[in-house]
Amino acid sequence: MSSSTKVPRLSGFLASTLPKISFLLGGLSLALTAVLWRGNPHHTAFSYLFSFLFFLSITLGSLFFVIIQHLTRAGWSVVLRRIPETFAMNAWVMAVFFLPILFGIHELYHWTHADVVAADPILQGKAGYLNIKFFLVRAVLFLGAWVWMARYFYKKSVKQDSSGDPKLTLSMQAFSAAAILIFAITLTFGIIDWAMSLTPHWYSTMFGVYFFAGSAVAAFAIMSLVALTLRRFGYLKDIIRVEHYHDVAKFLYGLNIFWAYVSFSQYFLIWYANIPEESVWFMQHFNGSWNTVAATLAIGHFFVPFLIFMSKHTRRNLTAHCAMMVWFLVMHCLDIYWLIMPNITPNGIHISVSDISSFVGIGGIYIGFFWLRLRNASLIPVQDPRLPESLRHHT
Amino acid sequence: MTTVKLYGLLAEYKDPSALIHAAEKLRDAGYKNFETYSPFPIHGMDSAMGIKDSVLGWIVVACGATGLASAIALQTWVSVSAYRVVTSGKLLFSFQAFVPVCFELMVLFAGFGAVFGMFALNGLPKLYHPLFKNHRFRTATSHGFFVTVESSDSRFSLEGTARFLQEIGGLSVEVVEE
Repeated sequence: MSSSTKVPRLSGFLASTLPKISFLLGGLSLALTAVLWRGNPHHTAFSYLFSFLFFLSITLGSLFFVIIQHLTRAGWSVVLRRIPETFAMNAWVMAVFFLPILFGIHELYHWTHADVVAADPILQGKAGYLNIKFFLVRAVLFLGAWVWMARYFYKKSVKQDSSGDPKLTLSMQAFSAAAILIFAITLTFGIIDWAMSLTPHWYSTMFGVYFFAGSAVAAFAIMSLVALTLRRFGYLKDIIRVEHYHDVAKFLYGLNIFWAYVSFSQYFLIWYANIPEESVWFMQHFNGSWNTVAATLAIGHFFVPFLIFMSKHTRRNLTAHCAMMVWFLVMHCLDIYWLIMPNITPNGIHISVSDISSFVGIGGIYIGFFWLRLRNASLIPVQDPRLPESLRHHT
Repeated sequence: MTTVKLYGLLAEYKDPSALIHAAEKLRDAGYKNFETYSPFPIHGMDSAMGIKDSVLGWIVVACGATGLASAIALQTWVSVSAYRVVTSGKLLFSFQAFVPVCFELMVLFAGFGAVFGMFALNGLPKLYHPLFKNHRFRTATSHGFFVTVESSDSRFSLEGTARFLQEIGGLSVEVVEE
């Protein structure tokens, strides 16, 4: 493939200065978070869990993108695929960042307290599943599965850059069918463990899908933003074109409607039935100014983008496109915040220093590792058999 | 004897790129009422022919908004004024309960707008078209690439346009009658 010579490696600011700044900012913020944790472990653990889940959602959404491209044998997306492949490889970073959650397990999950369970017949009934030992086994399984799948796709894809062996594409396609099943199961049960079990009496079968839909939106948004950053620095200008941004925007638009559909369905069924053990969660998440946050999500995460991003002119105008992608990320962040934080500030939204320090802390290390890895391989899969299709792609 | 009316001129082109090239030349020459035919869609043909964005999207949006508005109006009228039945302790005006019907009616109206708007903009259903009589044109569904220029175009002249179609690569140019 002649294009292999035309794609420059990442160098300069994005390859060295940006990761350094990220690591420095992240390290300092994590140190601050550790200090805050000593002062108020209860609150800081929740701030940390929120930040953890935000960056985990980007990792999983990116893994989803990679799997679905192979599963559908998509040609249009080949020039974009290296970005989500690299984000998915951050699964091991998230596995390391999971360790503090284990230290804070008693701060976060009250089903881990023996005396609480002893006084609670419902928790006794769930103890066969919700116990610390099994929780740990599941966490290892889920995080292990994500690291394994991310490595599988990344390693083969990078190997193809040099070998050009089309058999690698075939094996990735074959694995993608199993991978999407493993992905769906691990994501659903992972989020049940880490977010839904904060309110262990409550249950919702939509919860995993809800988290997945938001994750996919966030991952698509950040993929577009990374591509636009590369473009800004002069990389891949004629390779990732407006046609690709247009298609990412269409895909994201559909996923965002799916997010709205799932989140409304979850609320609607619980609202209609009005059974105490189901509606308790919404009582908690609609309390005080959390109600305003929920309304902001309905309007800001769904209605505003639904109207603004409907037009192909917004999707194809890269400035408007970029602004919308930032908007989606902010809304997804608020969504995760609304999922977690009513547990610790029940009377309303109250942004604290530990929220910001843990977010910048995890985010800094996360983004640093992303750019470091991105410079280690070609910016696009240069020998992918479907690359010519992607280069010619026209919506 | 009845006089036969002229529909326009039909020209065949070698391949998709020749067809695009011909469309660009016609557009640049100022022709408006011309059409291209190919067995499959050709990327970039819209801009080559100088076709502007369809208004269909706006028709769909307007129909969707009408559907949404009528769903809200219907349900509010029924629940709040016509049949004031309290269901499982909910408010008479419970917007949550209205959402599924709002969604369905919006999609239904938008769907009608898309289908029937497309029919109207394309002049469908059309039971007769002058090109149906032309034998050569039948290959347009398998391997033929054609241009027609209608006689209603202000720049149309039988000889001048025929010469122009040949100059821009037309393999055969023939007259099509109504």
